[in-house]
Amino acid sequence: MSPALEARQLCLDLDERYWSAARPRLLDCVDFAIPEGAVVGLVGRNGAGKSTLMRCLLGLTTPSAGESRLLGEPSLALPDAVRERLGYAAQTPDLFPRLTGLEHLDEMAAVYPGVNLRDAAALAARLDLSLGQRASSLSLGDQQKLAVVLALAHDPDLLLLDEPVASLDPISRRDFMRALFALRHKPTPRTVLVSSHLLSDLERVVSHVMFLREGRLQLFIEWDEAVEHLRCLPCPQPPAALQAGQVHWSPAGGGRLLVDARAWPQAGTAAVLGMEDLLEVLNT
Amino acid sequence: MPSPQALFDIQPQLSTPIYRQVVEQVQRLVAGGQLGPGDELPSVRAVAERHAINPMTVSKAYSLLEAEGLLERRRGMGMVVAARAQPASADEDRLALLAPALETAARQAAQLGIAADAALAAFARVLHKTPKEE
Repeated sequence: MSPALEARQLCLDLDERYWSAARPRLLDCVDFAIPEGAVVGLVGRNGAGKSTLMRCLLGLTTPSAGESRLLGEPSLALPDAVRERLGYAAQTPDLFPRLTGLEHLDEMAAVYPGVNLRDAAALAARLDLSLGQRASSLSLGDQQKLAVVLALAHDPDLLLLDEPVASLDPISRRDFMRALFALRHKPTPRTVLVSSHLLSDLERVVSHVMFLREGRLQLFIEWDEAVEHLRCLPCPQPPAALQAGQVHWSPAGGGRLLVDARAWPQAGTAAVLGMEDLLEVLNT
Repeated sequence: MPSPQALFDIQPQLSTPIYRQVVEQVQRLVAGGQLGPGDELPSVRAVAERHAINPMTVSKAYSLLEAEGLLERRRGMGMVVAARAQPASADEDRLALLAPALETAARQAAQLGIAADAALAAFARVLHKTPKEE
């Protein structure tokens, strides 16, 4: 079975005007294959390249080198049959200010087959979103909710969400996490790529986590595996080269080496790392 | 049948992966006799919905328990406790299931410099405060 989402040596160079030796590329040889049904949390600091990666995957930005495929088709030449199976909500919701939520859904139903208005309305109700108001009069949080309802309305097989919950309160965020799996009428599970800084939300729902730093993919791992096996060992000096089972060396906190405890049993008794702990180690 | 809320206590912040939390809770409930052969488990969808977690995580837990022989898939009913799943008769077996939690507590007590007597007394107080599950 081909991956639902894959990138092969995906690179994006910075515009010459902004080029700097410290960060020559926005994306640097990003390589991964996401299996069907995975729910992947895309995690990294501001400016790590999360939104850029999503835009490249969707074919909205043309990479300088490398390629990516969605549902088996190249991002830059997606057939309509694949487009219809995609859902995307951008960080800044793309809405028509003068249209109400319901009118947005009608517009969508005219273009996409498979838009189920009743399901979409039920989801909106669950997220406590009024569909009768014009987008321009909605709060930022409600605009995000509408963008998510629109991204889900046609029961997409592949869903990409860029910081979808940043402006939502904790209760709405919980409902949103439930919504990721809602409105599913097809037998195959939906594949999701979602970026967020709210890592405790991601910990609930992701099957995999992808850490991005300065345009490079640092680590792509099943979340259960990360919790069970990734540990930090004290290590004042950086190793000359990372050996098998060594993931990253960080100078912070007197020097720490992130390892897989299956290869480094002496790390077995070290504390379990949450997603925030991992993000910190990987970014120092 | 216990309601899904009563059946699982899921805490994503805990150092144990969510699927493991479900597996261990079912093991304990069967070992303790609160779940008996033929008892139906809440559906994957219900557990996922209740806790706002990934349904695949719940499926993974149920599949592991099925492979272990503790649960079986019954047509039209979902997962039920397997006919041959028996409560752990010997106290030793039940205690074995408690061991991981005790080891964690012991390690933390040592790190905090709490003397064994004081730790045991604290555990006794917690035991008496926890209501016995129906």
